Amino acid sequence: MRRTLLVALLLSLPNAARAQVQRLAGRVPEPARTQVAALVDSATAAGVPGDPLVNKALEGASKGADGARIVAAVRSLAARLRDARAALGASASEAELVAGAAALRAGATPAFLARLRRESPREPLVLPLAVMADLVARGVPADTAAGSVLALVRAGVRDADLVAFRQDVERDIALGAAGGAAAAVRTSATTSLNAPGLTNLPGTGTTPTPPAPRKP
Amino acid sequence: MRDDSDDPLIGRIAAELRHPVPARPDFEARVMAAVRAGPPSVPARAWTWLSEPRAVAVSPLSALALAAGVGALVIAGIWSASRSTRPGGAAGVAIEPVAAAAPSVVTFVLVDPRARSVALAGDFDGWDRSHLAMRRGASGLWTVDVPLAPGRYRYAFVVDGRRFVADPTAPPAVDDDFGQPTSVVTVSGARAAGGAL
Amino acid sequence: MSDGGPDEALVRRVLEGDVEAFAGLVARHRDRGLRFAAAMLGDAADAEEALQDAFIRAYRALRSCREPAKFGAWFLRILVNRCRTRAATRRRSAGLFVRDEAALERAPAAAGSDPEWREEITRALARLDPLQREAFLLKHVEGLDYEEMARLTGAGTSALKMRVMRACEHLRSMLGEANDAR
Repeated sequence: MRRTLLVALLLSLPNAARAQVQRLAGRVPEPARTQVAALVDSATAAGVPGDPLVNKALEGASKGADGARIVAAVRSLAARLRDARAALGASASEAELVAGAAALRAGATPAFLARLRRESPREPLVLPLAVMADLVARGVPADTAAGSVLALVRAGVRDADLVAFRQDVERDIALGAAGGAAAAVRTSATTSLNAPGLTNLPGTGTTPTPPAPRKP
Repeated sequence: MRDDSDDPLIGRIAAELRHPVPARPDFEARVMAAVRAGPPSVPARAWTWLSEPRAVAVSPLSALALAAGVGALVIAGIWSASRSTRPGGAAGVAIEPVAAAAPSVVTFVLVDPRARSVALAGDFDGWDRSHLAMRRGASGLWTVDVPLAPGRYRYAFVVDGRRFVADPTAPPAVDDDFGQPTSVVTVSGARAAGGAL
Repeated sequence: MSDGGPDEALVRRVLEGDVEAFAGLVARHRDRGLRFAAAMLGDAADAEEALQDAFIRAYRALRSCREPAKFGAWFLRILVNRCRTRAATRRRSAGLFVRDEAALERAPAAAGSDPEWREEITRALARLDPLQREAFLLKHVEGLDYEEMARLTGAGTSALKMRVMRACEHLRSMLGEANDAR
């Protein structure tokens, strides 16, 4: 019965999605495989990329997780990808959605993602979103990390500087600073270098500062 | 256009930068030792790059680096080299700049002298534990280089075919769905000037 | 330090088989090379490695140096490439996401200079777009003219002028206040 269901599902998918789901063969056991295929199907129908979901399933399989855990992980990632799509817009790339899903998992709000997109409509947001998630992973509170990244993007900071910023914060934390304080200090330092008109920004939440134009 | 040559600040910056930077005393000796050793000469600290690129696209310049035996680290897709071999041996190299939008090659490194094998598994290869075997260098330094399109990738090292190990040098993954150590690498897709990170 | 003759003679000797003559070329071009690489990469150890790589490549490719009298310019081109490669790799290496405090703090020390000012300059240079930094250094520190820079980098002179101009603008805005405080 399961096998028939899976075959029917596979046949109903467009070629690309079918190829994705084929990757699960031999790796993910039933019944998880059928369930994951269904999740991929509804995701792609909703305009969300299926590859990250397949990767998540394969990750679980590789790590020896049981089927139920794999399905749960895929399901929650699919939900985050949908939220990221809604917040970042129809033109968001797969890489942006994946980074957006990570940021959401780290505690960012969809409003934060939407705000980033408004501040930076044409530049890829992969790195700002990734830096936000990485900061949280290192112990910076989520709203502080989000506030910092938003401030930096508004100040027109380039990708290389975002990475430098993250490294600086990581180093400060390693040297004993509290996550929130480290992020706040580095945000002020970085934004003042890029937009001399801005005064020190508090590290938490969003602040009504005059937006600086994003540098080309 | 403003003539910055007249700007005193620019002048001061340039003057400071014109001060010589001291080299280590044995700098010339080391260069000459490498020169005398003849190809292939690999500086002791350098990582030996893949001679079997597997399914990985190695840029022409890195192939050149291997041939030159310099053990230089791998490149972005920004440069390509055109080789011209002259009769009598040494390959002549004309290095020309070429803008390209190739994937960026990322180097993954793990130090584990006791491991018998180390592989890299992640989003970029379907978490296949055996696909990206890493190459063992001196002092238990395992390396592999992987071309990656811009994006964010979860990964981990698989030691001795069984044990998942996070990359101590990389940010941990935020989500730990499966209770195993996982790391993340982000490749930025930016403009060539900014480069991938 | 006896160099045994200008570059052209040294190049010819090396090509005739006198390997040791290459040491003369290294001695003649080391300081300028290190100065550029250190400013470009912001790290003394990286700069030495890039410079060493460049010399070794130059040796192996010496037959393709079409104008031995202009070895310096030919070598600088190789060095510029090495620095670009090294900087790009540094950014890409997953290991670079590590907290390498020593490397991040290491600004090249220069004899007879003001270390704090140097450090501020190094930080400011690091914040420049790499191509702007490179153009700035070639123009204002190495003293090349735009035609020479165009031959070396393959970029057009207009683009190079724009990069230099932008670099100066950014450096002025970053270092202007710091400079006033001196």
